[in-house]
Amino acid sequence: MLTTSAKLLLAAVLCTGCAAASAADLTVICNARVPLTAGDVRDLFLGEKQFAGAVKLVPVDNSSAQSVFLEKILKMNAAKYSTTWTKKSFRDGINPPLVTGSDAEALAYVRRTPGACSYVTIPTPPDVAVVARL
Amino acid sequence: MGTTTSRRVTPGRAWAGVLLAACLGHTLVTYAAAGDSDRIAALEHKLDQSLQLIRQLSARVHDLEAQVAQAPPAAAKPTSPGAAAAAPATAAAAPPGTPAATQPGAAAATAPDTAQRLARVEQTVTEMAASAGQHAEDLGMPMHGFADVGVGNHNAEFHQYQGADVGELDFFLTPRLGSRTRALFELNFEVGSDGAVGVDLERAQIGYQFSDSATVWLGRFHTPYGYYNTAFHHGQQIATSLRRPRFIEFEDHGGIMPAHTVGAWLTGSQRVGDDKVTYDVFIGNSQRIQGGILDMNNAGNTHGSTIVGGNLGMLMSGALDGLKVGVDVFQTRILDEDAPSPAPATRVRSYGVYAAYDTDAWEDIAEFHVFDNDDLTGHTGTHRSDAGFVQMGYRAGRYTPYARYERGAFQQSDHFFAAQINGESYYRTALGLRFDVDLVSSLKLELADTHLTDRVTGSYDEALLQYAIRF
Repeated sequence: MLTTSAKLLLAAVLCTGCAAASAADLTVICNARVPLTAGDVRDLFLGEKQFAGAVKLVPVDNSSAQSVFLEKILKMNAAKYSTTWTKKSFRDGINPPLVTGSDAEALAYVRRTPGACSYVTIPTPPDVAVVARL
Repeated sequence: MGTTTSRRVTPGRAWAGVLLAACLGHTLVTYAAAGDSDRIAALEHKLDQSLQLIRQLSARVHDLEAQVAQAPPAAAKPTSPGAAAAAPATAAAAPPGTPAATQPGAAAATAPDTAQRLARVEQTVTEMAASAGQHAEDLGMPMHGFADVGVGNHNAEFHQYQGADVGELDFFLTPRLGSRTRALFELNFEVGSDGAVGVDLERAQIGYQFSDSATVWLGRFHTPYGYYNTAFHHGQQIATSLRRPRFIEFEDHGGIMPAHTVGAWLTGSQRVGDDKVTYDVFIGNSQRIQGGILDMNNAGNTHGSTIVGGNLGMLMSGALDGLKVGVDVFQTRILDEDAPSPAPATRVRSYGVYAAYDTDAWEDIAEFHVFDNDDLTGHTGTHRSDAGFVQMGYRAGRYTPYARYERGAFQQSDHFFAAQINGESYYRTALGLRFDVDLVSSLKLELADTHLTDRVTGSYDEALLQYAIRF
């Protein structure tokens, strides 16, 4: 028989779990005129794909959702991501993605920057192209 | 009395002294880290301010939306032009989120007017968010670098020295230019064989990117032979091992292959199914031998000879994910300017094959090169030599033990090798351990045994320690 406080604690744990699961949902977005597919996302954020047709791509990391993105899309942790980009920069002379600090910043940047792509926790952000949902 | 007072005060003073010292120590430590921290802190502060303003504006948008939703239909029409103009003016005069900005009188604003204000506020929010997201772009030209120092019973590069040594300090710049124009500059401060610090413009290349499949570079670049030369080069911190294989060392550190070329380089990659094909084609000034070392003729050469070559590789996928295999070839004409005129010339042809397996756990690299050289002036005919190495490393958390075997069998009747200070045949075995102190620094310990087998015969054992960083 659970006491009232135990029930409250259980409910709080379940709510926290739901919130965490909800926060893990990711949407990969691009500027509306970027013709990109879900299969290109990994190459885009590792510097292997820099153009979509004639459009120069501008990947933008969203630090508020980066850990989930790295785990689900790139299958690597932050340390390996950093090392991968150090090697890439050194070998090919290209720079790692810019970094924004929140969904709002990432969304605003993608909206106004041709070729920009990022990822947010907003399920259906307006005025951008949704490339993939997780 | 006075003594008693003194006893009571002394512990207090001592504690005050301890606190002062602690604060001073903390201040000094903080000050020592202040170089980058100040700039980052300033950016973070600016970002926090922007985010706070965004929150305020968002709250304001929410309030206005609530007003629109609750306003009676009659209030949606302007009561008078003056009232319509006065309401937004009142709200605009008050800071966002303040009572004045959300007072009931403002609810009398018309729906179209409120919509306009909403649009303006939304635009402001968007601009603020965009400017906040712009910070990383506004940092200017990105500069990165590497540095390493070491100690050992021999110098890792020049074995005649022993003790502590400075390896190198390497800066590379990758300015953000246009969407297709690229540039890369690498400046290296390193200690030479004479023990003096020298400065070398290791790379100075400006390129144009046609697509993901084709970028053309002009300037001085890493000669794209094999795998190791373009994969690691000066970045010791990103290399597993403590040093490069001896035969592909830098020219001024005794390498017998042209690690740099001044010329043009076309490079790119193309997906073929899930695999990826990479290619390099290059042409540049042929090198020369001067002072017993290869020189890449930065200013051009006096006879118009060229080095031409290419590299074709394939990155595997699926079960072989992480494996790259490839072949490379180059041909050049090398003049020995140390010899009496006319300078002896050798046509050097190199054929290479390589494989690299790089996964979360393994980093294995193997390269093999054959040299088919032709004496163009000494009439000694053709000479065949070869060199190669195999290196295996296993990443076990922060530790990466590795082993390497390398050998070079260079014909001493071949003027190209005979004229170079380190053109002697050798073989070397090495065992090492890399420890990642953190993400950007690593300690490496290497035990090596080198045997010289023709020009002079002998061997030496090495115990080397290196501390390497990247920034």
